[in-house]
Amino acid sequence: MSNITKKVSWSSRPDESGAAGEGTPLLNGSEQPRHSRQLSEEGSLFQIGRLSTVDLEEERTSDEDSLRGRPKEIPHNEKLLSLKYESLDYDNIENQLFLEEERRMSHMGFRCLEISRWVVCGLIGFLTGLIACFIDIAVEQLAGIKYQVVKENIEKFTEVGGLSISLILWAVLNSAIVMLGAIIVAFFEPIAAGSGIPQIKCYLNGVKIPRVVRLKTLVVKVCGVICSVVGGLAVGKEGPMIHSGAVVAAGVSQGRSTSLKRDFKIFEYFRRDTEKRDFVSAGAAAGVSAAFGAPVGGVLFSLEEGASFWNQMLTWRIFFASMISTFTLNFFLSIYHKNPGDLSNPGLINFGRFETDSVTYNLYEIPLFIAMGAIGGLLGALFNVLNYWLTIFRIRYVHRPCLQVMEAMLVAAVTATVSFTMIYFSNDCQPLGPEHTEEYPLQLFCADGEYNSMATAFFNTPERSVRSLFHNQPGTYNPLTLGLFTLTYFFLACWTYGLSVSAGVFIPSLLIGAAWGRLCGILLASLTSSSSIWADPGKYALIGAAAQLGGIVRMTLSLTVIMVEATGNVTYGLPIMLVLMTAKIVGDYFQEGLYDIHIKLQSVPFLHWEAPATSHWLTAREVMSSPVTCLNRLEKVGTIVDILSNTSTNHNGFPVVELVTENDEGGNPAKLCGLILRSQLIVLLKHKVFVELARSRLTHRKLQLKDFRDAYPRFPPIQSIHVSQDERECMMDLREFMNPTPYTVPQDTSLPRVFKLFRALGLRHLVVVDDENRVGVVLFFFSPPVTRLPLDVILMHFFVTLQVIGLVTRKDLARYHLGKHGLEELQLAQT
Amino acid sequence: MSLLKNSLFSAVLVINVYSLVYGELDSAPSVSPAAAAVFKPGADSAFPLSLLSSPDDPYSSDYCTDLLHIFGQRYVTYVNCLVPAARPVKVCQNCFSSYGSFVEIYRNISDEKGPGNESCRDQLLRSDRLMLVYLLYNNLKDLWGRSNCDQCITENFHSLTNDTLYFMTVHNQTISCFQKYEQGNHTDLCKNCKPFYKDLNELYSGMEKNQTLCIDIEDAMNMTRRQWSKSFNCSLPREETVPVIAVSSFMVFLPIIFYLSSFLHSEQKKRKLIHPKRARSYTSMMNIQDKLS
Repeated sequence: MSNITKKVSWSSRPDESGAAGEGTPLLNGSEQPRHSRQLSEEGSLFQIGRLSTVDLEEERTSDEDSLRGRPKEIPHNEKLLSLKYESLDYDNIENQLFLEEERRMSHMGFRCLEISRWVVCGLIGFLTGLIACFIDIAVEQLAGIKYQVVKENIEKFTEVGGLSISLILWAVLNSAIVMLGAIIVAFFEPIAAGSGIPQIKCYLNGVKIPRVVRLKTLVVKVCGVICSVVGGLAVGKEGPMIHSGAVVAAGVSQGRSTSLKRDFKIFEYFRRDTEKRDFVSAGAAAGVSAAFGAPVGGVLFSLEEGASFWNQMLTWRIFFASMISTFTLNFFLSIYHKNPGDLSNPGLINFGRFETDSVTYNLYEIPLFIAMGAIGGLLGALFNVLNYWLTIFRIRYVHRPCLQVMEAMLVAAVTATVSFTMIYFSNDCQPLGPEHTEEYPLQLFCADGEYNSMATAFFNTPERSVRSLFHNQPGTYNPLTLGLFTLTYFFLACWTYGLSVSAGVFIPSLLIGAAWGRLCGILLASLTSSSSIWADPGKYALIGAAAQLGGIVRMTLSLTVIMVEATGNVTYGLPIMLVLMTAKIVGDYFQEGLYDIHIKLQSVPFLHWEAPATSHWLTAREVMSSPVTCLNRLEKVGTIVDILSNTSTNHNGFPVVELVTENDEGGNPAKLCGLILRSQLIVLLKHKVFVELARSRLTHRKLQLKDFRDAYPRFPPIQSIHVSQDERECMMDLREFMNPTPYTVPQDTSLPRVFKLFRALGLRHLVVVDDENRVGVVLFFFSPPVTRLPLDVILMHFFVTLQVIGLVTRKDLARYHLGKHGLEELQLAQT
Repeated sequence: MSLLKNSLFSAVLVINVYSLVYGELDSAPSVSPAAAAVFKPGADSAFPLSLLSSPDDPYSSDYCTDLLHIFGQRYVTYVNCLVPAARPVKVCQNCFSSYGSFVEIYRNISDEKGPGNESCRDQLLRSDRLMLVYLLYNNLKDLWGRSNCDQCITENFHSLTNDTLYFMTVHNQTISCFQKYEQGNHTDLCKNCKPFYKDLNELYSGMEKNQTLCIDIEDAMNMTRRQWSKSFNCSLPREETVPVIAVSSFMVFLPIIFYLSSFLHSEQKKRKLIHPKRARSYTSMMNIQDKLS
């Protein structure tokens, strides 16, 4: 069996391998051969054709029996790519239908399109602002009721004894509310868990995350975030706003709701991935701007996180959406706060205004800020490492929904318990301020007229705590309180992120940072014996908050602008930027950003800005999948149905070629004449666009782009399409529907080149062609498409001189990444 | 002990008041004689006249000079009343009438027309850069506003409001109770004066909600609370440590049990690996090795 070289046909048992050799930097070097063999044992579902050398005798004998009969399974880890994620079709399909439609559309039509884009952006901003407003008011009201109840209870029991009952009441209230939020997330829409920023990041990167932009997700997200904030978890409501904005954008731009089965017959032109994705970036920006009152920050967030495809008009529209969103929120909050028309109170989180005399900073403080940035980076990296291990544990062991709900409830109860204990044992009493900045002052064992300072930090919604850390006068908190608070809140927040509740990590990070930043400020002030007040604790709280947030999420440009806008003070631009830079540099040395970790742990094929640095020697030949499942220009319906129904090869793009013989040994690659998508094929099958039927039924309506758009985005699965035995024998003419000019690369193209094409053009499939392509082919691309003419066949002859030898998809590229030991390769897995 | 703290606090407050008055005046050095006059009772009657009725000013009429004179007198009266009332704060109860007359004269200056329909407004208030009269008035008005005295005084500065009077009665009861038991054991005091103190506290909280507090009431309450909590140590003791610790450690144990049990009993989630179709996996591996080595 060993030491043989053989050519394997794609349907036979592909005995493969290649003992890649120990010590190879590729991760799967020594593992991959074994499983693949087992997979092929399972059945010949995996059409793996390989030219391979087998040289692994000892591994065979030891593993073969034990592994036979079941697919290779490994525990979940970060080095996987999931099959469940697909790419978005950002590339325009310039088939004949498209060209016909374009010809029909008047100049006015294009004008109207442009105007309706603006209208959609305005609507996105407006609705996002409304949602933000709703969340804000709901959280404020419900949290108000909860804290009032607990506060009254505590006051009662402080006097008569039995505070442990208050503790239990608080814990039970918290876990009951959180249970509600966790149930809707865990049982109804698991994708709504977490902050949603990783998901949106992936979406903007071009990955279609299933169900991420549905109405149901939005509803669950909004209710979930209200529950988790009111439930007293260490979370914020800002991250979810970004997701909500994105969902709103994806919904509004389509002019219909598939979930509600309502079609308003508007914006039909936007029903494709290209347009939708642009609107989603506007929605994400609107979400950021509503959350932080930072319109420019929102635009930059979209730019930084998502937009590989950016143009000036799009930016301007996105900015419009952001602005509208902020000011919608403003307007409705001003009505809520009973001074309608006041538009100057933006943002869900309002850091408050820093008075100009306390914000002055001096040159000699810059090194201090940078040092704080480094601390933020370190703490952020620690946070991320802890959360990474916790998340792996959760994916592996806490994956049943009821367990997830229980976990969330336990976290809520423990959060309440820890907070209560901290408050109970705190001796830090402060006099009540004249204007009552404390919303729910708890007196507990303090003297009358004073309140427990620990309680302002714990017994409050996190946003309010952040604000009081920024703005309360020096001396409001004593260092011990702040230290203990930082410590407990750090672990609580770390523990909370990744639960199956919808909640963001922005506010907890800010809170941790503000606490230790304020601590730094107090210590600095006490070090300098003189009575000068240069170390204003509020200022250091702000810097600490920026450092901590930067250390955890590692955003740079957008975060700087968001912080500057949220504080409303541009003089802090420089220190915040320096702090964020330092935090990112220091943090990246140890661990990636939190969102990147979560993207990796979800096995998403995410394409970063650049290909891995040391990958120039990899060529398309090694990267591509081969052989490719191709279709003929005139294909039998039965074949198409079979290919689509094959669950093991869930391909989405099929090169359309001229004449593929059934028993192609793989040595004679087919000649390319176009590319067709699974979704298109499904629509074609559904409408039964068969050659024979078209002949018999003269009145048969010609298929239009509209039919494809109507099916978008939820194309029915192939199983739901019934094809009778007779119809299986029919033929389908794909030429009219395929994309006649798919992007192609020669097989010696280097990985970074391929990568750049993918990243810049948003490609989904890239056909790798033979070296022997001729110039004439390229010329043909520019000639007008002529179809259904006898001449057609002749033209096609020129057209097909490209020979398909492979297909590169996103997953083929995303699997290479630079690990600790050089270039590593991720494995594909079913999740 | 309590006295010492009181006096300390009062010192701070007095300084505040002084710096308020002085601070503003100091900003205009030319006024310093007038400022001195303000705080030297007895020296004011002759001094301002001699300065004000200067014959070289052709624009100031007798009527206005008289008004200015009265203004000066009333200013002095009010400030004289304020300073002793600074600690303990009684600026509203003691000085509201003098403030009323002070405001009245300023109104006369600024609004009313005198004989011959002449108005002193432009002459006295805004004929120079300093605008001293206006400045002085504003300072005191600001002081009044800050002390929230309007909440405790009826319209037109007639008397204290009923709420205030009632509060003062209850407060006095409490204080007299304190004085009664002060000498003995403080636990007796805590027990016996608790009803009074509680009433007072509730009354105060009610007024706080209605926004009918002025500085006098706030200060009186503050002092009482301070005495109650700090001097007599009557605040609530922390005596339930054991049950709280027991309950919280139970709560903290729950997640540990949860994670352990899910680790032990829950089935670990496995991922099925899928093998991609590759053209030449072995050669590519070799390539990687070759090219790296």
